[in-house]
Amino acid sequence: MGVWVIFRSEASRGYTLSAPATAYVGFLVAAPLLILIAYSFWTQTYVTLDKTPTLKNYSDAFADPLVRHLMLRSIWIAGAVTAVTVALAYPIAYFIAMKARKKTIWLLLITIPFWSSYLLRVFAWKLILGFNGVMNSALLMLGLIDEPLDFLLYNEFAVVLTLAHAWAPFAILPIYVSLQKIDPSLLEAATDLGNSPFQRFMRVTLPLTIPGIIAACLIIFIPTVGDYVTPALVGGSDGKMIANLIQVQFGAANNWPLGATLSLIAMLSVGFVAIVFVITATRLGRRIR
Amino acid sequence: MTEKNIIELRGVEKRYGTFLAASGIDLDLKEGEFFSLLGPSGCGKTTVLRMIAGFQEPTKGTVLIDGQDMDGVPANNRPTNMVFQSYAIFPHLNVGNNVAYGLRGKAPKAEIDQRVAEALEMVELGGLEDRGASELSGGQRQRVALARALIMRPKVLLLDEPLSALDKKLREQMQFEMRNLQQSLGITFVMVTHDQYEAMTMSDRIGVMFNGRLKQVDTPTTLYARPCDQQVASFIGEMNILPAQLLEENGDTLSIDAKAFGQMEIEKNPNVATSARDMNIGIRPEQLEITSEKPEDYPSTVQGKVSNVAFYGENIHYHIQVAETDKPISVSVPNYFHTVDFNRGDAVWLGVQSASVIDLGTDTE
Repeated sequence: MGVWVIFRSEASRGYTLSAPATAYVGFLVAAPLLILIAYSFWTQTYVTLDKTPTLKNYSDAFADPLVRHLMLRSIWIAGAVTAVTVALAYPIAYFIAMKARKKTIWLLLITIPFWSSYLLRVFAWKLILGFNGVMNSALLMLGLIDEPLDFLLYNEFAVVLTLAHAWAPFAILPIYVSLQKIDPSLLEAATDLGNSPFQRFMRVTLPLTIPGIIAACLIIFIPTVGDYVTPALVGGSDGKMIANLIQVQFGAANNWPLGATLSLIAMLSVGFVAIVFVITATRLGRRIR
Repeated sequence: MTEKNIIELRGVEKRYGTFLAASGIDLDLKEGEFFSLLGPSGCGKTTVLRMIAGFQEPTKGTVLIDGQDMDGVPANNRPTNMVFQSYAIFPHLNVGNNVAYGLRGKAPKAEIDQRVAEALEMVELGGLEDRGASELSGGQRQRVALARALIMRPKVLLLDEPLSALDKKLREQMQFEMRNLQQSLGITFVMVTHDQYEAMTMSDRIGVMFNGRLKQVDTPTTLYARPCDQQVASFIGEMNILPAQLLEENGDTLSIDAKAFGQMEIEKNPNVATSARDMNIGIRPEQLEITSEKPEDYPSTVQGKVSNVAFYGENIHYHIQVAETDKPISVSVPNYFHTVDFNRGDAVWLGVQSASVIDLGTDTE
């Protein structure tokens, strides 16, 4: 008897096993989130915090064109990063799942970028794309250009390129898993029923990998909307994103309530876009016959 | 069944590196026949089927379908359709869309819908168009796979172990249904199976394969009565193989000394070669009579002792140890009176008619 009583029912056993994780998430995710929500209804008056509930932060944020502009740009950049990454990752995942002999080695190679720090990788891109960087030097040396290109760095393009490189493995792996699960006899059946390789891909392979594609898109889109390191380092003034504004509120501007409000608005926007995307992608997938 | 050849294999060989999966395959399949490729796993029967379907290219030789050389013709352009061992039902499509798969874009929607309805009716799944692929039982998946292939109106339907995933009762029911379907449609069916009973109950002709070679192609009854060698004899049903000596050959009959059973005259088997004095004979277990007294009306008899009894319900198997052979002789007796007549250790007599003794020729391998 004693403490082991709690292991008796299947349900309580489940709760017991998940208790550590629940406590962890409760303290480190739910509690901070509640604090954030509370802050968004307060007001900063220089050094003191006015705790009278107000919606002023929200009305200010919605009225500010800069907030709207940065939010839309963040979603646009994150969307572009997602599209570029998934489009480049799919063929790689396809190659590893369907054609490669030594899959483990290929999967290991894909994780190699993680062996160095993310900051180092961003700086590496600065070296490659910079005014006196690798790309410009090479093009100059080959005589393809007369003076260094200045549109490579400090703009949206640089942000998309850097993020797409950083997130590639997160797109490759879920797509690889969904491709790996396809029973090869399904592909033979499609061929047997008259499909060319391309038709077969569109009608069997692609629809069966939609769950993997959706997972890859969410894994990339959600964190990149809120990224602030990459735009801060390679984005210049054109590449700033909503997270850079939030960072300023919690730092230099010392306006935590507004920062909290912007964070929540960003979160809800991302959630909304993600839900619309999942529903649309699933619907589109069902229409393929 | 007509006399026209729908599939012709000419000296077909398939090699994987140094491994010879199939070699020297010459085979003519008639239009409208139910043909089975039978053999143990790894004998190359599936390789032959896949070469007909176009999933594998022969290393040597030619595959002709309806007189057309299939060399370089990919699987999607061949007039064959296949029922896969796993059924390969598309999981993202419902039953109707699975069956319609091969017709999409090739016929107007109204015609597709009508043909799907007909095909499902034919496999007794009428009205189940909207059922999801994951909601189907094993037997239903098999029927969907059949409908999906037959809706294409192929010249040849290829079936890769189509019944192996079903339980015994359903398998027996499907054997009859598929046979009926094949006869009413008049399409050539080529089935790969390792189950001799399945092959015998369903097929017009059977090709028996061992180690990548086609050993014998015949009707089920001929295969059973006139197997071409010991290997085929013991793969198709059960067979007592006994040593014998050839005394004299007189046209269609052989005079032999069957050691245990003494001298007898047996019919010559045209499928085997008897090249020496030493030869083998085969006797099916159900062709032997077992009695406690010496049977009067059997010309050839031998005395022995029961070493094992196995009760199967519909029949009883005895193993009889006789002095002249090392291995016990198997006897199968129908269960007439719901009793087991002999027990282990009983002294018994075995009798056989010479017409039941099969000439297996000289063992050449």
